[in-house]
Amino acid sequence: MAVAAAHLDGHAAVRERYNDVDPVYKEVRDLRLTGFVLFLLSDCILFASFIFAYVYSRDAAPIWPPFLNGHQLPWFDTSFAAVNSVILFGSGVTMHFALENWKHLNKQKFYMWLVATIVLGLGFLGGQAHEWTGVFATGLTWNNSTMGASFFLLTGLHGFHVLVGTIFLTILGLQAASGVYTGSKYFGLTAGTLYWHFVDVIWVALFSLFYLW
Amino acid sequence: MVGAVIVGSTAFVQLKNDWGSRGIDAIVTKILLGLMALGCVLAFLAAINVLGAH
Repeated sequence: MAVAAAHLDGHAAVRERYNDVDPVYKEVRDLRLTGFVLFLLSDCILFASFIFAYVYSRDAAPIWPPFLNGHQLPWFDTSFAAVNSVILFGSGVTMHFALENWKHLNKQKFYMWLVATIVLGLGFLGGQAHEWTGVFATGLTWNNSTMGASFFLLTGLHGFHVLVGTIFLTILGLQAASGVYTGSKYFGLTAGTLYWHFVDVIWVALFSLFYLW
Repeated sequence: MVGAVIVGSTAFVQLKNDWGSRGIDAIVTKILLGLMALGCVLAFLAAINVLGAH
């Protein structure tokens, strides 16, 4: 397959390899892809329901941030969140590079960008742990106000997704190293990349809601 | 701030490179890359205190 596409350059060669598979695999791949996108959409609905609850609660509150034990709770730390957001968005870019390098048969660069993605993902989780520690220090917990409940639920759910994503990407890296994927059959890597982008985009919504609104 | 510019512009360039690609994965990737670039713009605006300065 790689030989057949050897005369082509760049994206044309990638497209040639991608389509140069047996029809049964192609059909299964397309169905899996549709299924995976539907899974991401269902995850979107999960987040959307909790986001709606937060927006509704906040809109219904007479004053925001709410008062707790006689004093008004502080706003969340936007500067730190902005840095942490860039770390996560950066990991989305490195994951995109990883997949592109796999498609172009640059395996060494694929591993390099994949490891960078995992490291940045773990860095984001470390940042979130720091953020949670700071928020706890203000007296806000998940059971003493709607602000705390929404913040810890949504950022916790998102953090769980990031953690699962780093495990997912680690497994994909190990699978790639053991020869599971080829230049034309790499559905798992595509799914991993879509999942990681999805996790990034959910953070755009959470960052806007908790830190910018 | 610098990170937001680098990551955002890289995401935008990748989006531009992938603009012509087809298939459901390409469509979803383009949407997600676009939203990620938007996220970088928001992070940049937050870093310069245009957004989120309560």
